[in-house]
Amino acid sequence: MTRDARHCVRQGNPPSRRVLLKGALAGAASLAFHSSASAEDVAFKFGLTPVFLSNDLELLGHLQTFLSSKLGGPVELVTRRTYQEITALLVSGEIHSAWICGYPYVQFKANLDLVATPVWLGRPLYQSYLIASADRVVEDWTGLKGDVHAFSDPDSNSGFLVTRTLLAKNKLWPEAFFSRNFFTYGHRNVVRAVASGLAQSGSVDGYVYEVMRQTEPDLIKQTRIVRQSEWLGFPPVASPKSLASDTRVKALQQALVSMKDDAEGKKVLDLLRLDGFLATAPSLFDTIAAEVEIVRQFG
Amino acid sequence: MTMIRRFRSIPVTYRVPAIVALLMVVISAVISEHVLDRLSRTQEGFLDGLAETYLDGLSSAVIPSVLRGDVWEVFDALDRSKSSYAALSPIETVVTGSDGRILAATDPTRMATFSQLPDSYLKRYGPGIVTIDESALTGFAKRDLIYQGQPVGTIHATFDVSRLFAERREILFTLLVTNGVLAVLFSLGGFLIVRQMIAPMRVLENHMRSAAHGSAEPISPGEIPAGDSEVAGLFRGYNTLVHAERERANFAMQLAEEEKLSSLGRLASGMAHEINNPLGGLFNALDTLKTHGETPGVRDTSISLIERGLAGIRDVVEAALATYRPERSQRLLTAEDFDDVRLLLKPELRRRRQRLDWDMAWNGAGELPIKGGPVRQAVLNLLLNASTVTPEGGVVSLKAGSREDRLHIEIGDQGPGMPTDIAAILTHEDPGPAVRAGRGLGLWMVRRVVDDLGGRAIITAKQNGGTAVTLEIPFGGEIAKANAA
Repeated sequence: MTRDARHCVRQGNPPSRRVLLKGALAGAASLAFHSSASAEDVAFKFGLTPVFLSNDLELLGHLQTFLSSKLGGPVELVTRRTYQEITALLVSGEIHSAWICGYPYVQFKANLDLVATPVWLGRPLYQSYLIASADRVVEDWTGLKGDVHAFSDPDSNSGFLVTRTLLAKNKLWPEAFFSRNFFTYGHRNVVRAVASGLAQSGSVDGYVYEVMRQTEPDLIKQTRIVRQSEWLGFPPVASPKSLASDTRVKALQQALVSMKDDAEGKKVLDLLRLDGFLATAPSLFDTIAAEVEIVRQFG
Repeated sequence: MTMIRRFRSIPVTYRVPAIVALLMVVISAVISEHVLDRLSRTQEGFLDGLAETYLDGLSSAVIPSVLRGDVWEVFDALDRSKSSYAALSPIETVVTGSDGRILAATDPTRMATFSQLPDSYLKRYGPGIVTIDESALTGFAKRDLIYQGQPVGTIHATFDVSRLFAERREILFTLLVTNGVLAVLFSLGGFLIVRQMIAPMRVLENHMRSAAHGSAEPISPGEIPAGDSEVAGLFRGYNTLVHAERERANFAMQLAEEEKLSSLGRLASGMAHEINNPLGGLFNALDTLKTHGETPGVRDTSISLIERGLAGIRDVVEAALATYRPERSQRLLTAEDFDDVRLLLKPELRRRRQRLDWDMAWNGAGELPIKGGPVRQAVLNLLLNASTVTPEGGVVSLKAGSREDRLHIEIGDQGPGMPTDIAAILTHEDPGPAVRAGRGLGLWMVRRVVDDLGGRAIITAKQNGGTAVTLEIPFGGEIAKANAA
């Protein structure tokens, strides 16, 4: 783990969405103004959301080494506690690129370019799981009514939007269906919350859950899957449209797509249990956009 | 009192180690009490400090989350604190919000999030920082979460304090074992030291025991410890005592012998007189025989005179022989023994012109199961003493008779009465003092005879003046004594 990476693993209070959006628009304008002048002088800032297994410092070290070598300059990994913070930094142009969730990508599609999408089990797709404790007998998701429910993040597709959409399709509000709900701001935390009994059920990223089945089987054994969603676009790596001219963004896309062919990149992929990255079309996230629409229409 | 008496009856070799062990038990109890008390206070202080640190750290970590009602962050902080405060062994920590509802607990399955905190949690705290429930081996502490002067929640913590009690038990066990081992070692040491210390006393005791049985032997120089001046002094003192006692005994024996010779002399002179008296008549008879021996009447009368005279001499000689020839003293007592005594006493009585009241209630038995010689000697001595103390012309008496299983002999005099110390020779358990002073040796000989025969002597003052000495001699006493020995 490098000093820079450690330095960047810090958290702060998330700003409100309204403040974030205002900042994003203003930042995008100002960044577009001066980015071309100093683009090559500053370190390439790569943001990571909690969809990524950010607790693995070894992984961060390899990723930084890989990106630095491929981009030919210093790379700074930026992590925050919430999706919202990373999204705000990305949309505002404060960071050059970030691995975000499909939900914020869909929300800020107009301001973001897709760089690459991870490939898991041969496809750039993943699922959302509804989980409960292992010893609980539940027929289907309706059996979770009245639970204390753990969501991952309000800007997470798999950790919030999918369940929210499921409930909306059934004319239900999370506050009405669950007795209580809270956010853990991390998919792993959702699993921990359910395994410990802090929450009776949770919404979690299926990819993270399956990777944890290998890395932390004892924790996973304490939970069971109640529902698996349809296959959805995997959380992508995106960059602000304002930095489209930055050669390092193009280099990043190239590096990610060819990551499986690089020794250091292979280490990163092995740790992430991913097959590689793929340059995908924005239409991959249409299903998520549809979910957003369902929720919006329900109110 | 009985306990103390019983304890005192235990030999000192065991008593001292027992006292040492008892003292060690008392000391160890006091020390253990102090150590455990101090340990308990130290542990509680340590626990208070740890609990304060735990609650301080946790407060700082959870206050922002409690303010936001962030269940996960509170839980995560509690979960992480488990490993950070392993020394405190927290069992359960519950964080409640300002409304008293549970935000998060270390074990959410037991204390569900958003549920109301049980009343028992609110009532379990004492005045101290940590309240300990000894029966459950748990400690409780709470901390109100204050933000800008306002209470926003509370932390309720439960700790496992079994380690503290285990440590106390372990220390108590160590103390008991250590003190027990020390008590055993000290007791053993005490036993060995005391045994070594009193070993010379045992030597002295054995010598004194032997002395009590009549063979007082001095402690040999080899047995006198060179390094222990006190014991050496004691042993030398004992040896000096033994030597002095031996000298006194020798002296007493010498005196007794002289006394014996003295009385023998008196008897001998009496006997000589007894023999001399008839001798004149015998010679006259012989002269008569020489001159008128042809005359049958004169011859017969003279021969008869000579025969009676010689018979008298023979009786006296025989009585003396029977009394002073040891080999003859083994035969059993007969009435003739008393007749011999009477015969031997006769010259002395005559010399002092005294009368002998003789009252023999012999029931016709040939002999009694008592050694004749010693009794003759004792009775003769007592009669000679009685004659000595009785004024000239006075009366000396002897009553003898057998009743049931014993022989009673009472010798009376008309003397001024027997001094107490002299009387003690016959009657007291320890006839020593007067004997050692060289007095009453004749009576001492009587006492030895009486003791040997298993009898006893009684001294009474007679109503009309004088003293009566009564000997009670059981039949077969000396024989039984010999068998017992």
